Amino acid sequence: MKHRIARTAATLLALAAPAVLGTAALAADALANSVKIVSSLPRTGSANAQTTSMVNGIKMAIAEVGGKIGDTTILYEDWDDASPQRGNWDPAVEAQNADKAIADTSVVAYIGTYNSGAAKISMPKLNTAGIVMVSPANTASGLTKAGLGEANEPAVYRPSGKINYFRVVPTDDVQGAVAADYAKEIGLKKVFILNDREVYGKGVAGAFEARAKEIGLEIVGTDGLDAKASNYKSLVTKIKQAGADLVYFGGTTQTNAGQLAKDIVSGGLKAKLIVPDGCYENAFIEAAGAKALQDRCFITFGGVDPKLLKGKGAEFYENYKKTYKTEPEGYAVYGYECAKAILAAMERIHKAGGKIDRATVLAEVGKTKDFQGALGTWSFDENGDTTNRTFSVNTVKNGEFSTVKVVQ
Amino acid sequence: MAERRFSFFTRGQCIVLALLAATPLLDLAFPSIQLSGPMRTVVVYAILALGLNVVVGWTGLLNLGIAAFMAIGAYAFGILTAEVYPFQVGFWWALLLSGAIGAFAGWLLGAPTLRLRGDYLAIVTLGFGEIVQDGLKNLQAITKGTEGINPLPKPTVPFGAAIQSGLEIVGIASAPAATKAAEGVVAASSNWFEISSATPARWFYLYLILLAVVIFFCRNLEFSRLGRQWFAVREDELAARCMAIEPDKAKLKAFAAGAALAAIAGALFASHLASTGEPANYDFQVSILALCIVIVGGIGSITGVVLGAIVMVGLSNVVLPALTQAMQRAGIGSTENVLSSPDNYKYLIFGLALVLMMRFRPDGIVHTRKAVKK
Amino acid sequence: MTETEVFLQQVIYGLSNGMIIALVALGYTMVYGIVELINFAHGDVFTLGGFLALTVVGALGAAAILDPNTLSDSSHWLLLVGLVVTAGLFCGFLNVAIDKVVYKPLRRAPKLTQLVAAIGVSFILVNIALFWGGAPMEVFGGGNAAAASKDFPEILEGSNLLGEDSNVVLRLEDLAIFVITIPLMIGLTLFVNRTRLGRGMRATAQNPIAARLMGINTDRVIAATFLIGGFLGGAASVMWAIYNNTISFQMGFRAGMDAFTAAVLGGIGSLPGAMIGGVLIGLIRAMSDQYIETRWTNVVVFGVLILILVFRPSGLLGLKQREKV
Repeated sequence: MKHRIARTAATLLALAAPAVLGTAALAADALANSVKIVSSLPRTGSANAQTTSMVNGIKMAIAEVGGKIGDTTILYEDWDDASPQRGNWDPAVEAQNADKAIADTSVVAYIGTYNSGAAKISMPKLNTAGIVMVSPANTASGLTKAGLGEANEPAVYRPSGKINYFRVVPTDDVQGAVAADYAKEIGLKKVFILNDREVYGKGVAGAFEARAKEIGLEIVGTDGLDAKASNYKSLVTKIKQAGADLVYFGGTTQTNAGQLAKDIVSGGLKAKLIVPDGCYENAFIEAAGAKALQDRCFITFGGVDPKLLKGKGAEFYENYKKTYKTEPEGYAVYGYECAKAILAAMERIHKAGGKIDRATVLAEVGKTKDFQGALGTWSFDENGDTTNRTFSVNTVKNGEFSTVKVVQ
Repeated sequence: MAERRFSFFTRGQCIVLALLAATPLLDLAFPSIQLSGPMRTVVVYAILALGLNVVVGWTGLLNLGIAAFMAIGAYAFGILTAEVYPFQVGFWWALLLSGAIGAFAGWLLGAPTLRLRGDYLAIVTLGFGEIVQDGLKNLQAITKGTEGINPLPKPTVPFGAAIQSGLEIVGIASAPAATKAAEGVVAASSNWFEISSATPARWFYLYLILLAVVIFFCRNLEFSRLGRQWFAVREDELAARCMAIEPDKAKLKAFAAGAALAAIAGALFASHLASTGEPANYDFQVSILALCIVIVGGIGSITGVVLGAIVMVGLSNVVLPALTQAMQRAGIGSTENVLSSPDNYKYLIFGLALVLMMRFRPDGIVHTRKAVKK
Repeated sequence: MTETEVFLQQVIYGLSNGMIIALVALGYTMVYGIVELINFAHGDVFTLGGFLALTVVGALGAAAILDPNTLSDSSHWLLLVGLVVTAGLFCGFLNVAIDKVVYKPLRRAPKLTQLVAAIGVSFILVNIALFWGGAPMEVFGGGNAAAASKDFPEILEGSNLLGEDSNVVLRLEDLAIFVITIPLMIGLTLFVNRTRLGRGMRATAQNPIAARLMGINTDRVIAATFLIGGFLGGAASVMWAIYNNTISFQMGFRAGMDAFTAAVLGGIGSLPGAMIGGVLIGLIRAMSDQYIETRWTNVVVFGVLILILVFRPSGLLGLKQREKV
């Protein structure tokens, strides 16, 4: 018995030691006169490709100001809201990230989340604590806009009554409509609508469906697919039988959009495919293969191709290529823009002689107006959404995204 | 058996509970880790794994779908309490009812599948887990599909307000409680019994008390008539039948009891997050984690299972994030490629830990002599 | 498309997908038959086979040995067989190594201990696949996004064998699955039934102790079982890769789950059972996608599974096992 207890204690100690050491290391380097920006994104598992480019974008934005605003040092920490046993975002980890941010008084801004479902968990916590939260990726309309989600949204996420949640990406309702309008414009008539049964995919597919009905596209079927399935050949046959000339998929590269695109080709379905900005990344072309996408797939994206940007955007593009030696992705821009908006707010506080803390940053980020960023010139509106309504419709030519239309 | 009607905690159980009770003190020492949050998750998983232990450890039925009952508990709790549904029965009633609903679901799955032997039962429970998850996703009218149900209520302390006013009359609690460092930066309410996200330590202690109740329940179940029936069925069904035990009934009760505990864990999880999250949050991986907790901790041992939860959830939710964070601070790693980012080693560490623990402690941290041989 | 055409098409897809599942399921069922271990890591061994195949194809492409435009038809098939053998051997030996290092020391430990160790191995292999997807693929132009799915080049010509105007699509890949899978299954059956080692396997599955007493080297039998099971998994990964043209570091999860389901459905431990179980699951998936809804397919698959097991508690072809006394 004694042995057992001793051994148990030893095991526990062995496990606890790294944690304690880690904490000690954390406690040690709390710099005087520094503030912290943290991001909470799924870094373990299948979203890693997307979140890495966001983190790169954030890091670049901070490096551009030299890591300092006035004499305040800006620290950045890249937190993971996924856990290895889930391989995806983990609600318990997202909740504890929010708690950790609240407890660490040097945290003044929280960049995240990637998944809209995760935002629902951390938003009320951070709202109560008055920490500004800027998302590079959540597009579920209900998070900020009344009447588009559940009846009690978005009030449930704002227990303090104030707005602390902002996002640099346009919401699903706008994006779905852009896609439907474009489908009509190129003369498509019968659409089969798919979603990945996740918050983002379902939201944007729902918005597409609503707009499609409005403008008179015929909906020949809807279904939700299983993102883990090996292929969608059977589903494609069903779509073929339904006589669709367009497939709309509300989903991401991560939820197997690449496989779907391939199976449409191999199944002999001669329909176009439209997907939302969750697929606007090179990984999508890599997964689907350029051949499967050439001139038959359209990707909507809230902003324009970095290559076409002028001024700030062009600078971002050049810089990113220089720093990371790859082409920047849509996701990288979003991450960059989040950090830029926060840093600009800090800069304004500094210029006005104020102290950079939670309250001032929260107030100042909300006042972001006519911000000249890599995504164009935009402001945060009264809901915390970006006023950027610029959408580009892109296709794939010779293995690269190529813009076919820009909608203002 | 014992002369006493109830047996209280064993020494091991006391030690684990004391260990858990001490964790908020670490928050005072290291405010940047905030253990009170993750420790609530530990308690939830401990209850889940105790439920699984009834089925796998005591009755010897391999269940790979315990997450389904957790999901049922969480969604039952959500539907019973959220303001968008008409019930709103409050935390405690919802907790009890989700346990009851979970037990019913366990019975429902158990009844037709009792005849199945070991691994056939395993695949049926695995399948049930998938069915529940997909069902929750697809039955949008009832469950809100992937949206999740929120906000869900925090626990309340029964009679907390009455006790508080009593204390105030006596003059003990007249002054507002001071904000402790451990309780976040938001000022805690002056009510000693109010639980909110600003008082993570209180919230944790409430969960800990619930865990103690569950342990007490399990401990007395273990040596009850029913518990001994379970052991008999596990060791030898035929022999058990000869001793006038009805194996089917005993198994069904084990299924129901395990499912009830899992459902209660689900309800506590939902309350902890203030949301049910997505149905995908209760997938096969959660069942696997629960199984790992039971085996790593020591199958059949209550103390072991709770220790297993501390070790496994602590590893994935506390140690690994702290480690990667410390590495970032120290400037180790970058996002340059897949090998240079510390986050990308989490699977490896988690898997290695499992393999090594099994290699060197094949019977789990706490080995019970009673455990099955084969 | 007429109803008949649709049905025919779904049968083709169901059979092709089912055959792949069956190949993976054989690996599960063989290992289970011998050591009573649900080898959770099998699906991830399969994943690594796919990555090896892609690396080989990439390396050949980079070395300009392989250019799809100049390759004759027969050499396509040659390449395919080469890949099946390479990935198969790789997975086979990987499986044996895992058994030696992890499972063998635990052979006498409780069954669930081995199961958790297998889960641990599965996590480790997932991580290796993630690294593999990140670093070497970059060399072959596969991109450095490790976690993203990888495009697997078309090795067989992708046109419709029934003519471009036909509504029903039958491609070389569909045929290739049959051409490769069926001989493998026949070979396996012959091996188990006709050879000395095969007899040893059956004896060990029946009763390991008695088998050892009869002079059978059970360690060798077990190693051979892991080798063959792994080989079939590796072969399946190549079939998967040419059929879906995508591989990703998590592909073993669903493949493993489907295969495990198939193995149990057919009667775990039974080789023909695993084959039938795999094909059946493939067909149920296809029919459910077509005639019900894709979002309910998993529910249908597992619902059917539960129903079948309720009425046949030892699976379709499983022997009614005595309780061990």
